[in-house]
Amino acid sequence: MDDTQYEARIAALEAKIAALEGAAEAQPPGDGWKGWAERYGLIVAWIAIILILGAFKPAQMFAWNSYASMLGSNAMVVVLTLALIIPLTTGDFDLSIAATMGLSSMIIAVLNVQQGFDIVSAVIVALAVGAVVGAVNAFFILYFRVFSLIVTLGTGYFISGLILWVADGGTVAGVSMGLIKAVILTRVLGIPVGFYYALILTAAIWYLFQHTTLGRRMLFVGRGREVARLSGVNVTRVRAGALVASSVMASFAGVLYTGMRGVADPSSALAFLLPAFAAAYLGSTAIYPGRFNAIGAFVAVYFLSTGIMGLNFLGVDSFVQNLFYGGGLVVAVAISQLFRGRKEMG
Amino acid sequence: MKTLITSGLALGLLATPALADMDAARALVDRYSQTPTFEAPGEPFDARACMADKSMFVIPLTNANPFNAAISQGFVDAAEMVGFSLRDWETQMDPAGWIQGINTAVAEGFDLIDLQGGLPPEFLVPQITEARAAGVKVTATHNWDATTQTVPDFMDGAANTDYVTIGEIIAAWAIVQTEGQVNALVLGPDEITPTAPLRDAIIGYLTDNCPDCKTTYINVPVNDWATQGQPAVQNALLADPSINYVLPVYDSMSQFIVPAIQIAGSDARIVSYNGTPFVLDMMRDGDIVEMNVGESLGWVGMAGTDANMRLLCGLDPVTRLNTPAFIFTDDNVETAGIPATFNDGYGDVHTDGFRQLWMLDE
Repeated sequence: MDDTQYEARIAALEAKIAALEGAAEAQPPGDGWKGWAERYGLIVAWIAIILILGAFKPAQMFAWNSYASMLGSNAMVVVLTLALIIPLTTGDFDLSIAATMGLSSMIIAVLNVQQGFDIVSAVIVALAVGAVVGAVNAFFILYFRVFSLIVTLGTGYFISGLILWVADGGTVAGVSMGLIKAVILTRVLGIPVGFYYALILTAAIWYLFQHTTLGRRMLFVGRGREVARLSGVNVTRVRAGALVASSVMASFAGVLYTGMRGVADPSSALAFLLPAFAAAYLGSTAIYPGRFNAIGAFVAVYFLSTGIMGLNFLGVDSFVQNLFYGGGLVVAVAISQLFRGRKEMG
Repeated sequence: MKTLITSGLALGLLATPALADMDAARALVDRYSQTPTFEAPGEPFDARACMADKSMFVIPLTNANPFNAAISQGFVDAAEMVGFSLRDWETQMDPAGWIQGINTAVAEGFDLIDLQGGLPPEFLVPQITEARAAGVKVTATHNWDATTQTVPDFMDGAANTDYVTIGEIIAAWAIVQTEGQVNALVLGPDEITPTAPLRDAIIGYLTDNCPDCKTTYINVPVNDWATQGQPAVQNALLADPSINYVLPVYDSMSQFIVPAIQIAGSDARIVSYNGTPFVLDMMRDGDIVEMNVGESLGWVGMAGTDANMRLLCGLDPVTRLNTPAFIFTDDNVETAGIPATFNDGYGDVHTDGFRQLWMLDE
């Protein structure tokens, strides 16, 4: 098949899927509010939670400094969630992202503190190692055709062992102040600059998914691999690219995690896997409902962290935070599904 | 008239604002700023003779934690000094590994099993009971507090740590630094055994000795340190910007507290316990970690060995580790090494002390 025919078939496929999606997303007359509620419900809930918690703690909940701090300290979670939605869009799970984030963090600390690398070189090596992790995941998933959940569960465990080995079991402190300045100590409008990295990445992935052919192909691959393959999409290449991109972005989350603390430890990054999944799925109910999407993920991270912040201000016990995080996720997704007529989630 | 004057004086005294007990706080800080000295935990005994046919099996909470690895190394060093058989079991914080360790020790005929460095014996009661029925003694080192917690009946003994004094040193330091104006955020994971005595000692000392001091306590379980620790501290500092000390009961939490303090734009300082090397590195390289109470973990291992040997040899039991607490600040943190270690900075007086106590040179 020559390039012209290939592009023509892709264009035809895109047109067909766009028409199908348009039909599916079109709301029946009189039901427009449902579509609006579905798209923007999470943002409304976010505002509502600010107002409700603000009624109890107005001095803190309505202070700009509170939000500036929260936006900056959750930038790393946003990036990790964005890393996750890329392979989720192409139909693959990546359970190794949190471990990859931890590996990146440890590599930076060990190279910079113990091996004398300058911080820029250490970051580049960490990102490159992230690409290798993605390539390994892709190799086992695509060549051996093993379910991505199994492969990335295994590689995640493998990487956590690798981190302990690299770290010699310990926590490494003393990472270059340059990285800390580049992540939290430099502020724009009072917000640590790490937030803007997350914002830029969110915008970039939103553009990729919504306005590029590659983004549409990724969606097709996730929605129906065989259909996409028969239509001439190089499914293997798209899936491999998504897995590599995911791991590189997880490594970048590790850069932010290290820059935020100036320290790398062997295990704490693993705790961010569930928050990232929670935000990815919660985000898929908003803005572009039914699809993993960057803006939805961004809003979801900050919706959840706003709730946690408010509960902190109220001085509730930590178990209440877990109840909010878990319960809030399930209730929000369930309500969204009701609006969507209980269609299967993507 | 005399009555009137007396009443007036009494009223005057009552009207005077209560002051923190600065002298007591300074004395406590000064005492534990001195280089540790060796105080024998019991009478000397011929360890080589009494341990000639005995063996010990040490199960750490996890070998992946340098804290436990350093204590284990103290046990290994002591066994080499005395010349008895000791095995340090490899575990990765998994109950299955702990159980397998106990079963191995029983099967191979070891005389004593020591669960060291926070491994909760309560999780292993059936296995401990079985081991004791087989004639193996089971002890714990560096798990319970020496004064406020009791060793359960299902154990043969335990060498405990004086967590209360450590908590009081932390509180006293904050009182001295602020001239009795502490507003402290205390943090701890309640599910860990030593948290209660440390937490209660810090808060209790501030309450009892510093009328103008204020404390707030937040429980952050270990598994949530990364995800909840930082926001909890950050939001507490935003809610009350007058907080001037963050006092995590374990210093490893500092890695999540430092960014919280920086992002919240607070001037609060961290004072904590454990002498963990990376936290001492943070103290040396930055300004937020101000003081750390440490203890030589090699010394802890040797002191645990001493208590276990006394149990095996039928001597008077030792229930308190003789490892002294020691204050690290910017002034002496470099003595802990660059990068810091778990054993440097405390001197090595314990090695000679135990040699003499165990009559190894006679």
